[in-house]
Order: sequence, then C-alpha cells, then structure tokens
Amino acid sequence: MDLPGPFPVGRYAKTLRDELRKRARVQLIGEVTGLRQTPKQAYFELRDSEGAVPCTIWTNELAQLKLPEGALRDGAEFVAGGGPDYFIGSQTSSPGFSFRVTHLRLAGEGDLLARLEALRKQLEVEGLFELQRQLRRPVLPKTIGVVTAETGAARRDLLAGLQRRGWAGTVVWAFAPVQDRHAAPAITAAIQDLAAQPQVEAIVVTRGGGSLADLWAFCDETLCRTVAMLRVPVVSAVGHERDSTLIDDVAAVACSTPTHAAEAVVPLDCGEARLGLGRSVASLSRAAEGAVPARTPHLVALARGPARALRRERLALNQKTREIRAASERGVAERLGFQRRLATVVLERARRRAEGAEMERRRAALHRAEVALRAHEPERTLERGYALVEDREGEPVTDTAGAVAAERVRLRFADGIVGAEIEESA
Amino acid sequence: MSEKPQSYELAVERLEQIIDRLDSGQAGLRETLDLCGEGRDLVTYCTAELDAVGEGLKELKLDELATKLDSAAS
Repeated sequence: MDLPGPFPVGRYAKTLRDELRKRARVQLIGEVTGLRQTPKQAYFELRDSEGAVPCTIWTNELAQLKLPEGALRDGAEFVAGGGPDYFIGSQTSSPGFSFRVTHLRLAGEGDLLARLEALRKQLEVEGLFELQRQLRRPVLPKTIGVVTAETGAARRDLLAGLQRRGWAGTVVWAFAPVQDRHAAPAITAAIQDLAAQPQVEAIVVTRGGGSLADLWAFCDETLCRTVAMLRVPVVSAVGHERDSTLIDDVAAVACSTPTHAAEAVVPLDCGEARLGLGRSVASLSRAAEGAVPARTPHLVALARGPARALRRERLALNQKTREIRAASERGVAERLGFQRRLATVVLERARRRAEGAEMERRRAALHRAEVALRAHEPERTLERGYALVEDREGEPVTDTAGAVAAERVRLRFADGIVGAEIEESA
Repeated sequence: MSEKPQSYELAVERLEQIIDRLDSGQAGLRETLDLCGEGRDLVTYCTAELDAVGEGLKELKLDELATKLDSAAS
C-alpha cells in the first residue's frame, strides 16, 4: 500500500466532520419517512423516487419552528434547510452521516409545482406522453377497469355517466387509497393488476378534487411511468383542474371530471347507436326491397326494345331507299346534261378548228388574188416600159377614135406624166 | 355471413360505406343484393355488441374477477 497514513481514526473522523460542515448550506425537498423522535433529537429520511438523505434536527430547534400540530409526519412533503454533518460517535453510540436540519417547513404549492414541472419535462423528453395517446381506444368496451377510492363521489359520478351513455357492461373495481404516502404504490399496483386482466379493455383512474398536495400521489414518477408503458388505454380524471397532475400527461385521455371520464372510456352513446342501427336497417330494407321494382320500368323498356328497334330500322331503311332512288334519277339527268355540255364543247372546238382552216384558206386565196391583182395593176405594166393614155380628165383612152377625139392627151409613164397631141391617124 | 368484423367501430364504418353506396343508386342489382346481405350481417353484429353492454351493469371487484378466472381455468 502506497497510501499515506495510517492516521488515528478519531482524528480522521473529526477532519471528515469539519470538511463536511464546510459544504454549502442548502434546501432539500422530499417526502418525510421513518420519523422518530427522542428527547434530544428528531430523526427522519427525506426521500423522493431517486434517493434519500438521513436528516436530524434538535428537538429544541424543532419546537422553535412552530410547525402545525401533526404536520411533521410520514408521507408529508417538506422543505428542509441545513447542511451535511458527521457524528463522530461516542462510547455508547455509533457514528453516522446526517443532514443537519436547522429550518423545516411544509412544502407549499410552489415547491410541488416546481418539482412537478421538472418531472414533467423529464417524462416528456423521454417520449412518455405519446405512448398512451397512440393506443387504439375501443368505442364500445364490454369491460372497463376503474381505480378509485371505495367511498367517494368519483365512483358514483362515473357510474351515473356510464348509465347516461346507455352503457351497462361490466365494471371491475380496483379500490385504492387516493391520498397518502401509500396511495401512489397502491394505485400503481391496482392499475397493473387491472391491465393484466385480458377482459379489461380500458382503465379509468379517478378521484375528486383537492389541493396539489392532496393529489400528489397522481404525480408520482413510478405511477406515471407505469401508466405510460401500459398497452391498455388509461383515462384519467383526477381533481377538477385540467393538467394539474402528471397522470393527465401520460394517460390516453385526461378528463376534468368522472362524468367526462365515462364519456371518454365509452365514446359511443349506446342509445344513439341503437337509433342509428335502426336507420341503417331501414335503409338496407329499402334498398333490398326496392332493388327489383326500381329496375322494372327499365326491364319493361328493355323488353319493348327489339320491336321498337325493328320499327326504327325499317323507317331508316325506307328513308335510305327513297334517297337512293332520288339520287339515281338525279344521276341520269346530270349525266345527260354533262354529255350535252361535252358535245357543245367538242363542237365548238371543231367549229373553231374549222374556222381557223377556212381563214387560212381565204388568206391564201386573198394572197393569190392580191398577187394576181398586182400583176394586173397599170403601174406594174408601166414599170415594164408601157405608157397609159389618158384624156384631160384622166380617163383612159383605149382606142384610136378616142385619141383623135381627145386631141390632146396625157401619157402616163412609170416615172410621171407628159402631155401629147394627137395627129391624124397614120 | 362475411368475415366477422374486428370491432364495433370498423363494422359501423363499413355499414356507412354500404349505405352510401346503396343511396348513390350506382350499384347494380347483384351488387345491391350482396351489399344488403353484408349490411344485415353487420347490423346483426353491432346489435349483439350493443346487447352485450345493455343487459344490466355488472360490478366486480378485481379480486372477484381474478377468483372467477381461476375457477374457470381449473
């Protein structure tokens, strides 16, 4: 062993005590358990679900605190102020650690709310608020389990609510104390026992109103974790204030009163459901009985169908026949007209063609006539060296007698005219 | 009878579908008659379920229920 020492144990105990006494003085909150009092001191544990610390308080200091009579008792929530201490022991008593309490008061609503809030956040972060809400809740359970106090208005109110629903199934009661330090474990056990019964389809946990301290059992961490993990839906109706207890957060449904819990655990209004079924039966009967009659007119119409169809077809056929006849007559007429038009065109073309040939012929004849005429023109003769004899008026003189008679004549040559006198014939 | 419904709420849901279909007038004769048959079975089932919670409230304590189950098992 390479450790320092050995030291005399008494001295070490005193050093330990002195070190512990140097630690900061604080306030603790928790439930008082194991309380016992001696003439000199009172001993108890301050405890919550995670752990505990042994506490001591001098009797004279306790008396000075003037706590209400009987307030310091097991199961009560207290806030204790003080610091860690170590009793080093004596000839007749054993040594031991304790939290030396100098101030002590009942936990108030504020203290409880702060604890509740911390616990609520923790469970929410772990996802425990969602589990129950995801469960399928039957609309018409035949058997429901109820955890409540054996005596109390909650039990009566729940039954009245179920009756108003028209529900008269089986209720399995699991009675448990609902307000003291035994309440939370007892309620937890009751819920687990009910959930273990296969017939139980849903569980109601209910109690009447009270202060947060009265309802504190329903904020118990173990209880709430148990509820969250159940596979049977739990309906909570604790107190009158919504969301005041932690079980409301982990339950499938949180209700403000036992009456509401009755409606939540049997969502179906059985009276209305019976009326609804009656209406369904009427609808089904109407549909079934009307199925054939409703189709009769249609069937009759179908039966008449062939004759009507035949008549329709016959009419259509006649109509077609008339149309075809008309069309064929119109066709012949059109064809005749067409041929006529065609003949006219052909003849016209022939005519035009014929006219063209005639013209050509005439043009050629004209040309020949022109040539012939030109051959007979006096100018042509004059060009060949002949001369034309004209009288003074320009009339041609064609014989000797005419020339003698004219006495003076004009001689027309090709290039002009000269005068001449007629002598006596030779 | 068609398959037994899994729960009252599923039976009612199916019944409403059937009545909607019949009311629409679109179902043919064969379908109408089939749906009417199925609907009547569902009504019978739902009525039996309602009857089961309509014959009078029974109250048991948890230990009585446990005892009853034990005696039934033995």
